[in-house]
Amino acid sequence: MVGNDSASEVHADAPMLEWHDLTVAYGRRPVLWNVDFEIPKPCLFGIIGPNGAGKSTLLKASLDLVQRAGGCVRFWGQPLAQVRSRIAYVPQRETVDWDFPVTVMDVVRMGATSKLGWFQRGGKRERELALHSLDRVGLADFSNRQIGKLSGGQQQRVFLARALAREAEIYLLDEPMAGVDAGSQEQIFNILATLRDQGKLIVAVHHDIRTAVEWFDAVALVDMRLVAAGPTAEILTPENLTMTYSGRLSVLDEIGEAVERGGRTS
Amino acid sequence: MIRLSVIAAFLPYNTLVVAAGVAAVGCAAGVIGTFGVLRKRALVGDAAAHATLVGVASALLLTGQRDLAVLLVGGLTSAMVAIVLLVLIRKFTRTRDDAAIAIVLSVSFGLGITLISGMVSRGIPGSGGLERFLLGHTASLTAHDAILLGAVSATSVLCIVVGLKEATMVAFDRDFAAAAGWPAATIDFVLIALVAVMVVVGLPAAGAVLVTALVVIPPAVARQWTERIVPMLVIAGTVGLVSSLLGVAISSVAVQIPTGPVVVLVATSFLIFSVFLAPCRGIVWRARATSLLPSACCEEKDAETTARVVTEQKL
Repeated sequence: MVGNDSASEVHADAPMLEWHDLTVAYGRRPVLWNVDFEIPKPCLFGIIGPNGAGKSTLLKASLDLVQRAGGCVRFWGQPLAQVRSRIAYVPQRETVDWDFPVTVMDVVRMGATSKLGWFQRGGKRERELALHSLDRVGLADFSNRQIGKLSGGQQQRVFLARALAREAEIYLLDEPMAGVDAGSQEQIFNILATLRDQGKLIVAVHHDIRTAVEWFDAVALVDMRLVAAGPTAEILTPENLTMTYSGRLSVLDEIGEAVERGGRTS
Repeated sequence: MIRLSVIAAFLPYNTLVVAAGVAAVGCAAGVIGTFGVLRKRALVGDAAAHATLVGVASALLLTGQRDLAVLLVGGLTSAMVAIVLLVLIRKFTRTRDDAAIAIVLSVSFGLGITLISGMVSRGIPGSGGLERFLLGHTASLTAHDAILLGAVSATSVLCIVVGLKEATMVAFDRDFAAAAGWPAATIDFVLIALVAVMVVVGLPAAGAVLVTALVVIPPAVARQWTERIVPMLVIAGTVGLVSSLLGVAISSVAVQIPTGPVVVLVATSFLIFSVFLAPCRGIVWRARATSLLPSACCEEKDAETTARVVTEQKL
């Protein structure tokens, strides 16, 4: 939707994206605890951690899709509401019904028309923007195909094209490589790297360490809390990975249980 | 024109207006139902439909008026209460969705039936004939009633026509819409509220028990024939219109048959036909396609698409 972006230049020195003491809880159980770090400049940034570590929740909380129990998120030093039109979100592929009666073109156009005001359907400009975005992900020939008749990798690229059609500067992607074959992964990573080279920030939730080392400039290791964040080579050390992946039933779960118990007795 | 005037000469004005009104309801139910079905809310609609009886009976009890508008406002109120109850149950209990729907549906329906039979047996004025809301009976509608139903239906369709972009975006991917700053939860609520409005105006035509079919079957038929949302809305609207029109016609000839079952049977015959014979998705087509050439239909479409894109680029 249309947002007021005029004030953005004032915060030129602020990091592109920062989290301050972000805490999220489902019910009384914390899923993310005091996450605090920042991404100063455009880069290809990976959020890495085991299943259930709260990686997707981190993105969703940043976009106000789930409620935050505490802390805040700033884009260019500003709250989300001020800068929505400069941000694009790519949800997990399984969250939508791929049998929905829309074509590839329809979905990608949604990216362009999502920036227009109420009841404005868009016209030639939005169509061209959508076609251009489809071209960038190599799906221009599929524009009239119903979205269910695509492979997993192609569906993921449709989602990416929809985000591209928003012409955003920050892209938040939730598991863009889930269910995507190696060839398509390389293709998607190449698109993301090109975006980075154009000065965009790409934050992607990712689970595969091997490809993470290969592609991401910087990463954050997350396991309900922030384990470490920084340049990929410095962060993806055996020590850090052990800490992230083996501390499953750690202090946090105990805190969570204690909070739950405390809540019931009081 | 001559033929039309001949028909008009045989049918009283009232019957014609009622037929038009109910046809509008059928059409709107198909259109609104398309989004209900795409959002997987068919069962929520069913619970709302069964809950309407409580409201209809209470409205009569409270106001003493037998006016259709009053009764339907009552019905809409209780339908919305049922929907809000479902939301609350989901939020505050660990009851699963399907169980919650079954509970709300049966409890509210039981309450409605109890109210109505109690009122009838006590001889409360105007309560005679309330049971028509159970299975639908259009023969008792006045022209005035039909105009009301038609107007509400037209307004509901207008909402979808105007808000098509917003409705489609939220129905397809609520999180994406919300992240882009759209009030996705509100839009979602409007969509389900429109379904509630449709089951309420559909009451006279199909009755509380069967009205959900009016909202669910036409979209199911339409989905068989198209892969795009706008054609789906048009086809669902048309199927709804034709089904309810035929239902009214048949039950106006055979007065003892309630309208609802007839409407549902007509719509179902469309569905059976489509499930078997629709291109691409139809059972017969798919069986043939797998025996001859895998997904032949869709390959053809793609070749077409590619050709068109190429020509467009050249132009």
